[in-house]
Amino acid sequence: MHTALHLLWTFGQLSVLGFGGGKGIIPQMHRDAVENYRWVTSAQFTQFYTIGKLVPGPTTIFAALIGYAAMPKTPLIGATVATVGMFVPSSAIMMAADVAWDRFANSPWRPILARGLAPAIVGLVWSSVLTIARGTPAGILPYAVTAVVALLTLRTKLSAPVLIVASGVVGIIALR
Amino acid sequence: MPASDDAPAPAVRPTLLSVALVFAAISSTSFGGGQKASIRQQVVKQGWMDKDAFLEGLELAQVLPGPNILNLAIFCGQRARGVPGAIAAFLGASIPPLLIVLIAGALYFKYSENPFVRGGLRGCAVGALGLTVANALELSWDERNDWIKLVLLALTAVVVSLFKMPLLLVLVVFGGIGIMHEYLRARREAASP
Repeated sequence: MHTALHLLWTFGQLSVLGFGGGKGIIPQMHRDAVENYRWVTSAQFTQFYTIGKLVPGPTTIFAALIGYAAMPKTPLIGATVATVGMFVPSSAIMMAADVAWDRFANSPWRPILARGLAPAIVGLVWSSVLTIARGTPAGILPYAVTAVVALLTLRTKLSAPVLIVASGVVGIIALR
Repeated sequence: MPASDDAPAPAVRPTLLSVALVFAAISSTSFGGGQKASIRQQVVKQGWMDKDAFLEGLELAQVLPGPNILNLAIFCGQRARGVPGAIAAFLGASIPPLLIVLIAGALYFKYSENPFVRGGLRGCAVGALGLTVANALELSWDERNDWIKLVLLALTAVVVSLFKMPLLLVLVVFGGIGIMHEYLRARREAASP
């Protein structure tokens, strides 16, 4: 019960602060789930993030897996509570905003807000790179695969799941 | 029930079930950018709303916190069927990904000790890191014409990574400076046409 409330409060805060589609919340989520509450290890955190990227739907659905791990006796409740915390608050804001949107639509503040927040969000994404890297194996081969995947993402139309699965095949062969 | 009485009734009023099913189908089969196009096709072609309303919703979905696709689904559901429509869209867009990730999670906890699975997961994680690097590079490239933003971006990355600055504080301080910078720029541009 205690853990369920912690999950709800933790992911609820991340939900409300999830500007930029939720790209910037990874460092804080790692601090909460790995360092403060110790629900998961750094390696698990990175692997759950990876699963979130691999499955359809929002990446932040991997909050469900953290909830799953946090409540080992009732994993489905943990997963559901974490998902509710992660998605309901931002969704409620979206619903409320649509009612107020008419006033906001032509406001000069709208582009100022979006563009003004962007540098902080991008900085947080760079920090997410370091956060995720803490749970990946070190070595020349993993670094090379990371670089190749980044390059292919920027230069080709290969989709995220294809690139992740291809990296997984390299891992089965060389990272056991 | 429409969202408000003075809102023009949409041309087509879908059932709540069909709202949920449309977003369930999109959220469980497509990835990333493709989803926006799928949603647009569904809601505009089926006549739930016109193109302008959709684009307005897309912008709102991107400005507000939360996954863009989920926010967009809620917007479309709400415009088509009011608050119940928004709830139907939320459930449709979030339950299938949750079930899929739970199946993946159950398999993970069962097999993650197997050396082949472990190797595969490590490889996948390295790939996911590459995607994140690409995303960071792409987003930084968008800011390249404004050195103040690049400094702000770098400072944010440093204080978050090295000094573990809390997310709320990051958004207030660096988001606040960014918004102020944009505001002053907009005012300068307005003053000198």
